[in-house]
Amino acid sequence: MTKRSVARDILITVVILALAFVISVSFQKVFGIDEQITTLFAFAVFLISLTTRGYVYGIFSAIVSTLAINYAFTFPYFAFDFITPVNLISAVVMIIIAVLTGALTTKVKRNEEIRLESEKERMRANLLRAVSHDIRTPLTTIYGSAAALLEDGEYLSPEQKNKMLQSIRDDSVWLVRMVENLLSVTRIDSGNVKISKSPTVLDELVSSVLLKFKKRYPDRKVEVLLPDEVLIIPMDAMLIEQVLVNILENAVIHSEGMTRLILRVYVREDVAVFEVQDNGCGISKEKMQDLFLGYYEHKEAPADSQKKNTGIGLSVCATIIGAHGGKISAENVPSGGALFRFILRLEEKGNE
Amino acid sequence: MNNKYKILVIEDESNIRSLISTMLEANGYQVIQCETCDSAILLFESYLPDLAILDLGLPDADGLKFLRYVRKDSLTPVVVLSARTDESDKISALDLGANDYVTKPFSSGELLARIRAALRNTRHCNDEGRLPGGKFVLGEMTIDYDARRTFLGGEEVKLTQTEYNILAFLSEHCGKLMTYSAVIKEIWGERADDSSIKKLQVNMANIRRKFGITPAEPKYIYNELGVGYRMDHSV
Repeated sequence: MTKRSVARDILITVVILALAFVISVSFQKVFGIDEQITTLFAFAVFLISLTTRGYVYGIFSAIVSTLAINYAFTFPYFAFDFITPVNLISAVVMIIIAVLTGALTTKVKRNEEIRLESEKERMRANLLRAVSHDIRTPLTTIYGSAAALLEDGEYLSPEQKNKMLQSIRDDSVWLVRMVENLLSVTRIDSGNVKISKSPTVLDELVSSVLLKFKKRYPDRKVEVLLPDEVLIIPMDAMLIEQVLVNILENAVIHSEGMTRLILRVYVREDVAVFEVQDNGCGISKEKMQDLFLGYYEHKEAPADSQKKNTGIGLSVCATIIGAHGGKISAENVPSGGALFRFILRLEEKGNE
Repeated sequence: MNNKYKILVIEDESNIRSLISTMLEANGYQVIQCETCDSAILLFESYLPDLAILDLGLPDADGLKFLRYVRKDSLTPVVVLSARTDESDKISALDLGANDYVTKPFSSGELLARIRAALRNTRHCNDEGRLPGGKFVLGEMTIDYDARRTFLGGEEVKLTQTEYNILAFLSEHCGKLMTYSAVIKEIWGERADDSSIKKLQVNMANIRRKFGITPAEPKYIYNELGVGYRMDHSV
Protein backbone atom coordinates (compact mmCIF):
# COMPACT_ATOMS: atom_id res chain seq x y z
CA MET A 1 0.00 0.00 0.00
CA THR A 2 1.12 3.55 0.54
CA LYS A 3 4.20 4.72 2.37
CA ARG A 4 2.00 6.05 5.11
CA SER A 5 0.36 2.73 5.93
CA VAL A 6 3.75 1.03 5.98
CA ALA A 7 5.01 3.61 8.46
CA ARG A 8 1.88 3.10 10.53
CA ASP A 9 2.36 -0.68 10.59
CA ILE A 10 5.99 -0.38 11.59
CA LEU A 11 5.03 2.02 14.35
CA ILE A 12 2.37 -0.34 15.67
CA THR A 13 4.81 -3.25 15.67
CA VAL A 14 7.51 -1.33 17.49
CA VAL A 15 5.16 0.17 20.08
CA ILE A 16 3.46 -3.12 20.96
CA LEU A 17 6.74 -5.01 21.17
CA ALA A 18 8.29 -2.31 23.33
CA LEU A 19 5.25 -2.33 25.61
CA ALA A 20 5.43 -6.12 25.94
CA PHE A 21 9.10 -5.88 26.76
CA VAL A 22 8.63 -3.16 29.38
CA ILE A 23 5.78 -5.02 31.05
CA SER A 24 7.79 -8.26 31.05
CA VAL A 25 10.79 -6.58 32.62
CA SER A 26 8.66 -5.02 35.33
CA PHE A 27 6.97 -8.40 35.97
CA GLN A 28 10.31 -10.02 36.37
CA LYS A 29 11.86 -7.32 38.54
CA VAL A 30 8.85 -6.56 40.74
CA PHE A 31 7.11 -9.90 41.08
CA GLY A 32 9.90 -12.24 40.07
CA ILE A 33 7.61 -14.19 37.73
CA ASP A 34 8.87 -15.66 34.48
CA GLU A 35 6.05 -18.01 33.57
CA GLN A 36 3.53 -15.55 32.13
CA ILE A 37 6.04 -13.72 29.99
CA THR A 38 5.70 -16.11 27.06
CA THR A 39 1.91 -15.65 27.15
CA LEU A 40 2.35 -11.89 27.21
CA PHE A 41 4.56 -11.94 24.13
CA ALA A 42 2.20 -14.37 22.41
CA PHE A 43 -0.57 -11.85 23.01
CA ALA A 44 1.60 -9.05 21.63
CA VAL A 45 2.28 -11.07 18.48
CA PHE A 46 -1.44 -11.75 18.14
CA LEU A 47 -2.25 -8.03 18.45
CA ILE A 48 0.35 -7.07 15.87
CA SER A 49 -0.86 -9.64 13.35
CA LEU A 50 -4.39 -8.41 13.91
CA THR A 51 -3.74 -4.71 13.35
CA THR A 52 -1.14 -4.73 10.57
CA ARG A 53 -1.44 -5.60 6.90
CA GLY A 54 -0.19 -8.92 5.66
CA TYR A 55 2.08 -11.45 7.39
CA VAL A 56 5.40 -9.66 7.52
CA TYR A 57 4.98 -7.72 10.74
CA GLY A 58 3.41 -10.63 12.64
CA ILE A 59 6.16 -13.07 11.70
CA PHE A 60 8.86 -10.47 12.34
CA SER A 61 7.49 -9.73 15.81
CA ALA A 62 7.13 -13.47 16.50
CA ILE A 63 10.84 -13.93 15.77
CA VAL A 64 11.80 -10.88 17.83
CA SER A 65 9.62 -12.06 20.71
CA THR A 66 11.13 -15.55 20.64
CA LEU A 67 14.61 -14.12 20.70
CA ALA A 68 13.73 -11.69 23.48
CA ILE A 69 12.18 -14.39 25.64
CA ASN A 70 14.99 -16.76 24.93
CA TYR A 71 17.66 -14.19 25.66
CA ALA A 72 16.29 -12.17 28.53
CA PHE A 73 13.52 -13.98 30.29
CA THR A 74 14.32 -17.69 30.35
CA PHE A 75 17.08 -19.69 31.84
CA PRO A 76 19.95 -19.29 31.02
CA TYR A 77 19.41 -15.52 31.38
CA PHE A 78 21.09 -13.21 28.87
CA ALA A 79 22.24 -15.99 26.61
CA PHE A 80 20.65 -17.72 23.65
CA ASP A 81 19.70 -21.32 24.15
CA PHE A 82 17.89 -23.24 21.47
CA ILE A 83 18.48 -26.65 22.93
CA THR A 84 15.98 -26.51 25.75
CA PRO A 85 12.78 -27.94 24.23
CA VAL A 86 10.53 -25.47 26.10
CA ASN A 87 12.19 -22.57 24.34
CA LEU A 88 11.86 -24.26 20.96
CA ILE A 89 8.20 -24.99 21.51
CA SER A 90 7.42 -21.40 22.49
CA ALA A 91 9.18 -20.21 19.35
CA VAL A 92 7.15 -22.49 17.11
CA VAL A 93 3.87 -21.58 18.85
CA MET A 94 4.61 -17.90 18.48
CA ILE A 95 5.20 -18.18 14.73
CA ILE A 96 2.08 -20.30 14.25
CA ILE A 97 0.02 -17.64 16.07
CA ALA A 98 1.47 -14.95 13.82
CA VAL A 99 0.76 -16.85 10.60
CA LEU A 100 -2.76 -17.93 11.55
CA THR A 101 -3.84 -14.51 12.78
CA GLY A 102 -2.29 -12.87 9.75
CA ALA A 103 -4.13 -15.22 7.40
CA LEU A 104 -7.43 -14.67 9.17
CA THR A 105 -7.30 -10.89 9.28
CA THR A 106 -6.11 -10.64 5.70
CA LYS A 107 -9.08 -12.72 4.63
CA VAL A 108 -11.52 -10.60 6.63
CA LYS A 109 -10.06 -7.38 5.25
CA ARG A 110 -10.23 -8.67 1.70
CA ASN A 111 -13.85 -9.73 2.13
CA GLU A 112 -14.71 -6.26 3.39
CA GLU A 113 -13.05 -4.70 0.33
CA ILE A 114 -14.92 -7.00 -2.01
CA ARG A 115 -18.19 -6.15 -0.29
CA LEU A 116 -17.57 -2.40 -0.64
CA GLU A 117 -16.60 -2.80 -4.27
CA SER A 118 -19.69 -4.80 -5.12
CA GLU A 119 -21.86 -2.30 -3.27
CA LYS A 120 -20.38 0.47 -5.43
CA GLU A 121 -20.89 -1.65 -8.51
CA ARG A 122 -24.52 -2.18 -7.57
CA MET A 123 -25.06 1.57 -7.11
CA ARG A 124 -23.48 2.21 -10.46
CA ALA A 125 -25.64 -0.38 -12.17
CA ASN A 126 -28.74 1.13 -10.58
CA LEU A 127 -27.74 4.58 -11.71
CA LEU A 128 -27.10 3.35 -15.22
CA ARG A 129 -30.45 1.60 -15.37
CA ALA A 130 -32.24 4.67 -14.09
CA VAL A 131 -30.43 6.92 -16.52
CA SER A 132 -31.11 4.75 -19.54
CA HIS A 133 -34.75 4.68 -18.58
CA ASP A 134 -34.87 8.44 -18.12
CA ILE A 135 -33.08 9.16 -21.36
CA ARG A 136 -35.41 7.09 -23.48
CA THR A 137 -38.40 9.36 -22.92
CA PRO A 138 -36.97 12.63 -24.21
CA LEU A 139 -35.21 10.79 -27.03
CA THR A 140 -38.54 9.37 -28.13
CA THR A 141 -40.00 12.85 -28.28
CA ILE A 142 -37.06 14.29 -30.18
CA TYR A 143 -36.81 11.42 -32.63
CA GLY A 144 -40.56 11.18 -33.16
CA SER A 145 -41.13 14.91 -33.57
CA ALA A 146 -38.21 15.39 -35.91
CA ALA A 147 -39.28 12.44 -38.05
CA ALA A 148 -42.84 13.71 -38.16
CA LEU A 149 -41.72 17.20 -39.16
CA LEU A 150 -39.54 15.82 -41.94
CA GLU A 151 -42.00 13.29 -43.30
CA ASP A 152 -45.41 14.83 -42.71
CA GLY A 153 -44.42 18.47 -42.48
CA GLU A 154 -46.77 19.54 -45.23
CA TYR A 155 -49.85 18.19 -43.45
CA LEU A 156 -49.12 19.89 -40.16
CA SER A 157 -50.48 23.27 -39.14
CA PRO A 158 -47.95 25.94 -38.12
CA GLU A 159 -49.13 25.63 -34.50
CA GLN A 160 -48.58 21.90 -34.53
CA LYS A 161 -45.14 22.34 -36.01
CA ASN A 162 -44.33 24.96 -33.46
CA LYS A 163 -45.43 22.72 -30.62
CA MET A 164 -43.30 19.86 -31.89
CA LEU A 165 -40.27 22.08 -32.27
CA GLN A 166 -40.78 23.36 -28.78
CA SER A 167 -40.89 19.87 -27.34
CA ILE A 168 -37.74 18.99 -29.27
CA ARG A 169 -36.01 21.97 -27.73
CA ASP A 170 -37.33 21.33 -24.21
CA ASP A 171 -36.36 17.70 -24.21
CA SER A 172 -32.90 18.33 -25.57
CA VAL A 173 -32.37 20.93 -22.86
CA TRP A 174 -33.36 18.27 -20.38
CA LEU A 175 -30.86 15.86 -21.91
CA VAL A 176 -28.12 18.46 -21.71
CA ARG A 177 -28.76 18.84 -18.01
CA MET A 178 -28.74 15.09 -17.52
CA VAL A 179 -25.39 14.83 -19.26
CA GLU A 180 -23.98 17.62 -17.11
CA ASN A 181 -25.10 15.80 -14.00
CA LEU A 182 -23.62 12.53 -15.19
CA LEU A 183 -20.33 14.22 -15.96
CA SER A 184 -20.16 15.57 -12.44
CA VAL A 185 -20.99 12.22 -10.92
CA THR A 186 -18.35 10.37 -12.88
CA ARG A 187 -15.87 13.06 -11.97
CA ILE A 188 -16.55 12.51 -8.30
CA ASP A 189 -17.39 8.82 -8.24
CA SER A 190 -14.28 7.60 -10.01
CA GLY A 191 -12.50 6.59 -6.84
CA ASN A 192 -10.55 9.57 -5.62
CA VAL A 193 -12.66 12.64 -5.09
CA LYS A 194 -11.51 15.31 -7.48
CA ILE A 195 -13.01 18.60 -6.56
CA SER A 196 -10.93 21.71 -6.69
CA LYS A 197 -12.10 24.16 -4.10
CA SER A 198 -11.40 27.81 -4.66
CA PRO A 199 -12.68 30.83 -2.74
CA THR A 200 -15.91 31.99 -4.35
CA VAL A 201 -17.91 35.11 -3.67
CA LEU A 202 -21.48 34.19 -2.86
CA ASP A 203 -22.92 37.05 -4.95
CA GLU A 204 -21.23 35.73 -8.08
CA LEU A 205 -22.36 32.19 -7.47
CA VAL A 206 -25.96 33.24 -6.94
CA SER A 207 -25.92 35.58 -9.92
CA SER A 208 -24.62 32.80 -12.14
CA VAL A 209 -27.16 30.31 -10.79
CA LEU A 210 -30.07 32.68 -11.36
CA LEU A 211 -28.90 33.47 -14.87
CA LYS A 212 -28.87 29.78 -15.75
CA PHE A 213 -32.19 29.19 -14.06
CA LYS A 214 -33.79 32.17 -15.80
CA LYS A 215 -32.66 30.86 -19.16
CA ARG A 216 -34.63 27.67 -18.60
CA TYR A 217 -37.59 29.14 -16.74
CA PRO A 218 -37.88 32.77 -17.81
CA ASP A 219 -41.22 33.31 -16.07
CA ARG A 220 -40.32 31.83 -12.72
CA LYS A 221 -39.34 34.46 -10.20
CA VAL A 222 -36.93 33.54 -7.44
CA GLU A 223 -36.86 35.57 -4.24
CA VAL A 224 -33.28 35.96 -3.06
CA LEU A 225 -32.22 36.62 0.51
CA LEU A 226 -28.47 37.01 1.03
CA PRO A 227 -26.36 38.30 3.90
CA ASP A 228 -25.28 41.93 3.66
CA GLU A 229 -21.57 41.37 3.96
CA VAL A 230 -19.40 39.95 1.21
CA LEU A 231 -19.26 36.23 1.82
CA ILE A 232 -16.45 34.09 0.47
CA ILE A 233 -16.90 30.34 0.57
CA PRO A 234 -14.34 27.79 -0.56
CA MET A 235 -16.02 25.50 -3.09
CA ASP A 236 -15.93 24.01 -6.54
CA ALA A 237 -18.14 26.74 -7.95
CA MET A 238 -19.22 24.86 -11.08
CA LEU A 239 -20.45 21.95 -9.01
CA ILE A 240 -22.21 23.99 -6.32
CA GLU A 241 -23.84 26.01 -9.08
CA GLN A 242 -25.14 22.74 -10.46
CA VAL A 243 -26.49 21.75 -7.05
CA LEU A 244 -28.43 24.99 -6.71
CA VAL A 245 -29.79 24.79 -10.25
CA ASN A 246 -30.83 21.19 -9.67
CA ILE A 247 -32.66 22.02 -6.45
CA LEU A 248 -34.42 25.04 -7.94
CA GLU A 249 -35.48 23.05 -10.97
CA ASN A 250 -36.59 20.21 -8.81
CA ALA A 251 -38.94 22.62 -7.08
CA VAL A 252 -40.35 23.84 -10.39
CA ILE A 253 -40.90 20.31 -11.70
CA HIS A 254 -42.18 18.58 -8.59
CA SER A 255 -43.77 21.22 -6.42
CA GLU A 256 -47.35 21.44 -7.58
CA GLY A 257 -49.21 24.63 -6.82
CA MET A 258 -46.03 26.54 -6.05
CA THR A 259 -46.32 30.31 -6.18
CA ARG A 260 -43.19 31.36 -4.30
CA LEU A 261 -39.64 30.10 -4.64
CA ILE A 262 -37.09 31.43 -2.18
CA LEU A 263 -33.32 31.08 -2.22
CA ARG A 264 -31.87 32.01 1.12
CA VAL A 265 -28.28 31.97 2.33
CA TYR A 266 -27.15 32.83 5.84
CA VAL A 267 -24.21 32.25 8.13
CA ARG A 268 -24.46 30.12 11.23
CA GLU A 269 -21.32 29.94 13.32
CA ASP A 270 -18.66 28.68 10.91
CA VAL A 271 -20.88 27.39 8.12
CA ALA A 272 -22.87 28.91 5.30
CA VAL A 273 -26.43 27.60 5.14
CA PHE A 274 -28.12 27.47 1.73
CA GLU A 275 -31.89 27.02 1.69
CA VAL A 276 -34.34 26.64 -1.17
CA GLN A 277 -37.93 26.86 -0.05
CA ASP A 278 -41.17 26.66 -1.99
CA ASN A 279 -44.80 26.74 -1.00
CA GLY A 280 -45.95 23.88 -3.19
CA CYS A 281 -47.22 20.41 -2.39
CA GLY A 282 -44.24 19.32 -0.29
CA ILE A 283 -42.50 15.94 -0.39
CA SER A 284 -44.45 12.73 0.22
CA LYS A 285 -43.26 10.34 2.92
CA GLU A 286 -42.28 7.55 0.52
CA LYS A 287 -40.23 9.91 -1.60
CA MET A 288 -38.59 11.51 1.41
CA GLN A 289 -36.96 8.20 2.35
CA ASP A 290 -34.66 7.78 -0.60
CA LEU A 291 -34.71 11.28 -1.99
CA PHE A 292 -30.94 11.55 -2.25
CA LEU A 293 -30.12 7.92 -2.96
CA GLY A 294 -29.81 8.11 -6.69
CA TYR A 295 -31.84 5.08 -7.57
CA TYR A 296 -35.52 4.56 -7.35
CA GLU A 297 -38.05 1.84 -7.76
CA HIS A 298 -39.02 1.29 -11.33
CA LYS A 299 -42.65 0.89 -10.51
CA GLU A 300 -42.58 4.44 -9.28
CA ALA A 301 -40.98 5.84 -12.40
CA PRO A 302 -43.70 7.63 -14.32
CA ALA A 303 -44.07 6.68 -17.94
CA ASP A 304 -45.21 10.03 -19.21
CA SER A 305 -42.69 12.64 -20.12
CA GLN A 306 -44.44 15.31 -18.11
CA LYS A 307 -43.05 14.14 -14.81
CA LYS A 308 -39.46 13.27 -15.29
CA ASN A 309 -37.84 11.82 -12.29
CA THR A 310 -35.08 13.93 -10.88
CA GLY A 311 -33.79 11.17 -8.64
CA ILE A 312 -30.48 11.56 -10.39
CA GLY A 313 -30.44 15.32 -9.98
CA LEU A 314 -30.81 15.13 -6.23
CA SER A 315 -28.38 12.27 -5.82
CA VAL A 316 -25.86 14.31 -7.77
CA CYS A 317 -26.47 17.12 -5.29
CA ALA A 318 -25.86 14.79 -2.37
CA THR A 319 -22.67 13.44 -3.95
CA ILE A 320 -21.33 16.93 -4.63
CA ILE A 321 -22.16 18.27 -1.18
CA GLY A 322 -20.71 15.13 0.39
CA ALA A 323 -17.49 15.59 -1.54
CA HIS A 324 -17.31 19.13 -0.15
CA GLY A 325 -17.60 17.77 3.37
CA GLY A 326 -21.02 19.36 3.77
CA LYS A 327 -24.50 18.07 4.49
CA ILE A 328 -27.74 18.15 2.54
CA SER A 329 -31.24 17.56 3.82
CA ALA A 330 -34.87 18.07 2.89
CA GLU A 331 -37.96 18.67 4.97
CA ASN A 332 -41.54 19.85 4.71
CA VAL A 333 -42.35 23.26 6.07
CA PRO A 334 -45.33 23.41 8.49
CA SER A 335 -46.87 26.21 6.46
CA GLY A 336 -46.74 23.99 3.34
CA GLY A 337 -44.06 23.30 0.77
CA ALA A 338 -40.64 21.78 0.75
CA LEU A 339 -37.33 23.08 2.04
CA PHE A 340 -33.96 21.87 0.82
CA ARG A 341 -30.98 22.83 2.86
CA PHE A 342 -27.25 22.27 2.54
CA ILE A 343 -24.32 23.62 4.46
CA LEU A 344 -20.79 24.43 3.41
CA ARG A 345 -17.90 25.17 5.67
CA LEU A 346 -16.78 28.79 5.72
CA GLU A 347 -13.11 29.41 5.76
CA GLU A 348 -13.36 33.03 6.70
CA LYS A 349 -15.54 36.03 6.28
CA GLY A 350 -14.07 38.28 3.65
CA ASN A 351 -14.21 42.02 3.99
CA GLU A 352 -11.22 43.98 2.98
CA MET B 1 -26.58 48.62 -43.36
CA ASN B 2 -25.77 48.01 -47.01
CA ASN B 3 -22.83 45.69 -46.64
CA LYS B 4 -23.23 42.57 -44.54
CA TYR B 5 -20.83 41.51 -41.84
CA LYS B 6 -18.61 38.66 -42.99
CA ILE B 7 -18.27 35.84 -40.50
CA LEU B 8 -15.77 33.00 -40.78
CA VAL B 9 -17.11 29.77 -39.26
CA ILE B 10 -14.39 27.27 -38.37
CA GLU B 11 -15.95 24.02 -37.22
CA ASP B 12 -15.22 20.45 -38.28
CA GLU B 13 -18.57 18.84 -37.45
CA SER B 14 -20.72 19.38 -40.51
CA ASN B 15 -24.04 19.38 -38.64
CA ILE B 16 -22.99 22.11 -36.29
CA ARG B 17 -21.33 24.06 -39.08
CA SER B 18 -24.42 24.05 -41.25
CA LEU B 19 -26.58 24.89 -38.23
CA ILE B 20 -24.48 27.94 -37.42
CA SER B 21 -24.28 29.01 -41.05
CA THR B 22 -28.03 28.76 -41.56
CA MET B 23 -28.63 30.68 -38.38
CA LEU B 24 -26.18 33.43 -39.33
CA GLU B 25 -27.47 33.78 -42.88
CA ALA B 26 -31.02 34.00 -41.59
CA ASN B 27 -29.88 36.89 -39.42
CA GLY B 28 -28.31 38.84 -42.24
CA TYR B 29 -24.66 37.85 -41.97
CA GLN B 30 -22.48 36.64 -44.79
CA VAL B 31 -20.89 33.31 -43.96
CA ILE B 32 -17.58 31.74 -44.99
CA GLN B 33 -17.15 28.14 -43.84
CA CYS B 34 -14.19 25.88 -43.30
CA GLU B 35 -13.30 22.83 -41.27
CA THR B 36 -9.56 22.89 -40.69
CA CYS B 37 -7.17 25.22 -39.02
CA ASP B 38 -4.94 25.66 -42.08
CA SER B 39 -7.79 26.50 -44.44
CA ALA B 40 -9.10 28.90 -41.80
CA ILE B 41 -5.85 30.82 -41.88
CA LEU B 42 -5.94 30.93 -45.69
CA LEU B 43 -9.56 32.11 -45.77
CA PHE B 44 -8.88 34.64 -43.06
CA GLU B 45 -6.13 36.18 -45.14
CA SER B 46 -8.12 36.28 -48.37
CA TYR B 47 -11.56 37.34 -47.08
CA LEU B 48 -10.61 39.44 -44.03
CA PRO B 49 -13.81 38.57 -42.15
CA ASP B 50 -15.33 40.88 -39.55
CA LEU B 51 -15.52 38.10 -37.01
CA ALA B 52 -14.53 34.44 -36.65
CA ILE B 53 -16.34 31.65 -34.83
CA LEU B 54 -13.75 29.09 -33.81
CA ASP B 55 -14.18 25.52 -32.60
CA LEU B 56 -11.20 24.53 -30.48
CA GLY B 57 -11.06 20.85 -31.44
CA LEU B 58 -10.09 20.84 -35.10
CA PRO B 59 -8.83 17.78 -36.99
CA ASP B 60 -5.49 19.19 -38.17
CA ALA B 61 -4.45 21.43 -35.29
CA ASP B 62 -5.58 23.00 -32.07
CA GLY B 63 -7.93 25.91 -32.71
CA LEU B 64 -5.63 28.01 -30.55
CA LYS B 65 -3.14 27.98 -33.42
CA PHE B 66 -5.58 29.98 -35.53
CA LEU B 67 -6.19 32.34 -32.65
CA ARG B 68 -2.47 32.95 -32.21
CA TYR B 69 -2.11 33.58 -35.92
CA VAL B 70 -4.95 36.11 -35.99
CA ARG B 71 -3.81 37.94 -32.88
CA LYS B 72 -0.34 38.50 -34.24
CA ASP B 73 -1.47 41.55 -36.15
CA SER B 74 -5.24 41.84 -36.02
CA LEU B 75 -8.02 42.73 -33.60
CA THR B 76 -10.72 40.84 -35.49
CA PRO B 77 -13.10 39.50 -32.85
CA VAL B 78 -12.99 35.75 -32.31
CA VAL B 79 -15.75 33.85 -30.53
CA VAL B 80 -14.68 30.42 -29.36
CA LEU B 81 -16.94 27.35 -29.26
CA SER B 82 -16.09 24.89 -26.53
CA ALA B 83 -17.41 21.84 -24.73
CA ARG B 84 -18.17 22.16 -21.07
CA THR B 85 -15.32 19.91 -20.05
CA ASP B 86 -12.40 21.98 -21.25
CA GLU B 87 -12.60 24.75 -18.71
CA SER B 88 -8.89 25.47 -18.87
CA ASP B 89 -8.99 25.66 -22.68
CA LYS B 90 -11.58 28.40 -22.42
CA ILE B 91 -9.39 30.43 -20.13
CA SER B 92 -6.28 29.99 -22.25
CA ALA B 93 -8.26 30.94 -25.36
CA LEU B 94 -9.48 34.11 -23.64
CA ASP B 95 -6.01 34.94 -22.44
CA LEU B 96 -4.72 34.47 -25.98
CA GLY B 97 -7.13 37.16 -27.11
CA ALA B 98 -10.44 35.47 -27.88
CA ASN B 99 -13.29 37.89 -27.29
CA ASP B 100 -15.74 35.43 -25.89
CA TYR B 101 -16.72 31.82 -25.73
CA VAL B 102 -19.96 29.91 -26.10
CA THR B 103 -20.33 26.52 -24.50
CA LYS B 104 -21.76 23.66 -26.53
CA PRO B 105 -24.63 23.00 -26.66
CA PHE B 106 -25.73 26.58 -27.23
CA SER B 107 -28.95 28.19 -28.35
CA SER B 108 -29.08 30.37 -31.43
CA GLY B 109 -30.07 33.36 -29.33
CA GLU B 110 -27.03 32.95 -27.15
CA LEU B 111 -24.57 32.74 -30.02
CA LEU B 112 -26.14 35.67 -31.88
CA ALA B 113 -26.03 37.80 -28.74
CA ARG B 114 -22.33 37.06 -28.27
CA ILE B 115 -21.63 37.86 -31.92
CA ARG B 116 -23.48 41.17 -31.67
CA ALA B 117 -21.61 42.04 -28.49
CA ALA B 118 -18.24 41.21 -30.05
CA LEU B 119 -18.99 43.26 -33.16
CA ARG B 120 -20.29 46.14 -31.07
CA ASN B 121 -17.11 46.01 -29.04
CA THR B 122 -14.88 46.56 -32.05
CA ARG B 123 -17.08 49.35 -33.35
CA HIS B 124 -16.77 50.94 -29.93
CA CYS B 125 -13.05 50.95 -30.26
CA ASN B 126 -13.13 52.35 -33.79
CA ASP B 127 -15.38 55.37 -33.66
CA GLU B 128 -17.52 55.68 -30.55
CA GLY B 129 -14.90 54.39 -28.13
CA ARG B 130 -14.23 56.98 -25.54
CA LEU B 131 -16.86 59.60 -26.06
CA PRO B 132 -15.82 63.22 -26.49
CA GLY B 133 -14.64 64.55 -23.19
CA GLY B 134 -13.38 61.13 -22.17
CA LYS B 135 -16.69 59.75 -20.98
CA PHE B 136 -18.01 56.20 -21.12
CA VAL B 137 -21.76 55.71 -20.96
CA LEU B 138 -23.54 52.40 -20.41
CA GLY B 139 -27.22 52.61 -19.53
CA GLU B 140 -27.43 54.79 -16.44
CA MET B 141 -23.77 54.34 -15.66
CA THR B 142 -21.27 56.99 -16.67
CA ILE B 143 -17.52 56.91 -16.26
CA ASP B 144 -15.60 60.16 -16.55
CA TYR B 145 -12.09 59.02 -17.45
CA ASP B 146 -10.52 62.45 -17.11
CA ALA B 147 -11.88 63.16 -13.66
CA ARG B 148 -11.70 59.50 -12.61
CA ARG B 149 -15.27 59.69 -11.33
CA THR B 150 -18.29 57.44 -11.81
CA PHE B 151 -21.97 58.24 -11.85
CA LEU B 152 -25.22 56.30 -11.73
CA GLY B 153 -28.24 58.17 -13.04
CA GLY B 154 -26.54 61.50 -12.42
CA GLU B 155 -25.57 60.69 -8.83
CA GLU B 156 -21.89 60.24 -8.15
CA VAL B 157 -20.81 56.80 -6.95
CA LYS B 158 -17.72 56.97 -4.76
CA LEU B 159 -15.22 54.26 -5.60
CA THR B 160 -11.78 53.53 -4.19
CA GLN B 161 -8.78 53.84 -6.51
CA THR B 162 -8.63 50.09 -7.08
CA GLU B 163 -12.37 49.82 -7.65
CA TYR B 164 -12.24 52.65 -10.16
CA ASN B 165 -9.31 51.05 -11.97
CA ILE B 166 -11.13 47.75 -12.29
CA LEU B 167 -14.31 49.40 -13.55
CA ALA B 168 -12.40 51.57 -16.03
CA PHE B 169 -10.47 48.57 -17.31
CA LEU B 170 -13.65 46.57 -17.87
CA SER B 171 -15.32 49.53 -19.57
CA GLU B 172 -12.40 49.89 -21.97
CA HIS B 173 -13.06 46.29 -22.99
CA CYS B 174 -16.83 46.56 -22.87
CA GLY B 175 -18.50 43.49 -24.34
CA LYS B 176 -15.43 41.34 -23.96
CA LEU B 177 -15.06 38.70 -21.31
CA MET B 178 -11.94 39.50 -19.29
CA THR B 179 -10.32 36.66 -17.36
CA TYR B 180 -9.28 37.05 -13.74
CA SER B 181 -5.63 36.91 -14.71
CA ALA B 182 -6.05 39.65 -17.33
CA VAL B 183 -7.68 41.99 -14.80
CA ILE B 184 -5.21 41.18 -12.04
CA LYS B 185 -2.24 41.72 -14.33
CA GLU B 186 -3.62 45.10 -15.36
CA ILE B 187 -4.59 46.34 -11.90
CA TRP B 188 -1.92 44.91 -9.62
CA GLY B 189 0.68 43.72 -12.09
CA GLU B 190 0.67 40.33 -10.41
CA ARG B 191 0.16 36.79 -11.52
CA ALA B 192 -3.27 35.46 -10.67
CA ASP B 193 -3.40 33.13 -7.69
CA ASP B 194 -6.04 32.25 -5.12
CA SER B 195 -5.38 35.28 -2.95
CA SER B 196 -5.28 37.82 -5.77
CA ILE B 197 -8.45 36.39 -7.31
CA LYS B 198 -10.08 36.72 -3.92
CA LYS B 199 -8.93 40.33 -3.70
CA LEU B 200 -10.42 41.01 -7.12
CA GLN B 201 -13.69 39.31 -6.25
CA VAL B 202 -14.10 41.28 -3.05
CA ASN B 203 -13.42 44.55 -4.87
CA MET B 204 -15.92 43.55 -7.52
CA ALA B 205 -18.52 42.70 -4.90
CA ASN B 206 -18.05 46.17 -3.41
CA ILE B 207 -18.34 47.83 -6.81
CA ARG B 208 -21.60 46.00 -7.41
CA ARG B 209 -22.94 46.99 -4.04
CA LYS B 210 -22.08 50.64 -4.61
CA PHE B 211 -23.93 50.54 -7.93
CA GLY B 212 -26.85 48.74 -6.34
CA ILE B 213 -26.43 45.68 -8.57
CA THR B 214 -27.91 42.59 -6.94
CA PRO B 215 -27.22 38.95 -7.84
CA ALA B 216 -30.92 38.53 -8.59
CA GLU B 217 -30.83 41.25 -11.24
CA PRO B 218 -27.35 41.62 -12.61
CA LYS B 219 -26.66 44.51 -14.97
CA TYR B 220 -23.62 46.27 -16.45
CA ILE B 221 -21.15 43.76 -14.99
CA TYR B 222 -21.63 40.04 -15.43
CA ASN B 223 -19.49 37.26 -14.04
CA GLU B 224 -18.59 33.91 -15.52
CA LEU B 225 -17.90 31.62 -12.59
CA GLY B 226 -14.27 30.66 -12.38
CA VAL B 227 -13.36 32.59 -15.55
CA GLY B 228 -13.79 36.34 -15.27
CA TYR B 229 -15.97 39.39 -15.84
CA ARG B 230 -17.69 41.10 -18.70
CA MET B 231 -19.16 44.56 -18.86
CA ASP B 232 -22.09 44.67 -21.23
CA HIS B 233 -25.57 45.92 -21.97
CA SER B 234 -27.12 42.51 -21.62
CA VAL B 235 -26.08 38.92 -21.22
